[in-house]
Amino acid sequence: MNEDATMGKMLSCDKVMRQLWDYLDEELTPERMSAIAAHLSGCNRCFPQYDFERAFLRAVRSVREENPPPAQQRERVMAALRANGLP
Amino acid sequence: MGQDPSAPAAETGFEEIAIPWLDDVARFSRHLTKDPADAEGLLQETFLRALRGWHTFTPGTECRRWLFTICRNTFIQGLQSRKPVAYDAPELEALAAAAVHAGAVSSGMGDIFSRIDLGDAIKCGLDKLPEAFREAVVLVDLEGMSYEGSAQVLGVPVGTIRSRLFRGRRLLQELLLAHAQDAGLAANRSFGPLKEGT
Ligand SMILES: [Zn+2]
Repeated sequence: MNEDATMGKMLSCDKVMRQLWDYLDEELTPERMSAIAAHLSGCNRCFPQYDFERAFLRAVRSVREENPPPAQQRERVMAALRANGLP
Repeated sequence: MGQDPSAPAAETGFEEIAIPWLDDVARFSRHLTKDPADAEGLLQETFLRALRGWHTFTPGTECRRWLFTICRNTFIQGLQSRKPVAYDAPELEALAAAAVHAGAVSSGMGDIFSRIDLGDAIKCGLDKLPEAFREAVVLVDLEGMSYEGSAQVLGVPVGTIRSRLFRGRRLLQELLLAHAQDAGLAANRSFGPLKEGT
């Protein structure tokens, strides 16, 4: 796949769109990652969508921290485990 | 299963290796069950099964992944039935995301996710997602798991994770955009800055 080799501008917008999530999730090869990064930085069509999806993922991730489990829950689970053989 | 509970050596390391993931499993349980009482029951059952099956855990592998797998399997076993879900190939889902973005831009919501705190709407939206999609979004987006790790927890191929994840994200975006629209949060409105309660 020669197209993977740092020739970001050679990637079509369509190909970038198809792999945008994989790119945001860093699930591509390093070569593909840098090819898409290069394309995005110079493409007015793809960049706004990239920016939109990236903000979305950040917003979703931020929900995790705001949701700590109740404090007593751990103690109840530990008590059940000790009753079942945990030293 | 079937292990003699009086054999203390088998539990070696459980407290040091498995217990630190308790909060993570608790969070995952909550997302699966969507009910605090059910979530605690699932959490407890997961750790009891993990303790009984501790000899099956391979030291050096990712314990959180192993616990999530037990948690999810325990949850599935308790369900009467699981609704089948429809989803398209990952590439089609990825292209559908472009349509959602275009729709957001044309309704003045192209920057909605960076402009407005949608935390509560996201939590609410996650709970509304069909289970198969919610699982994928929770594992990858909230728990930060790889496609591979999530595929292992859910017992499906990586391609299926991608499809479900991309579809789940798209459905969640659609819910959030509809919520934002209803709440009057769209920008670029011809009558100027929005005011609450109008
Ligand atoms: Zn482009």
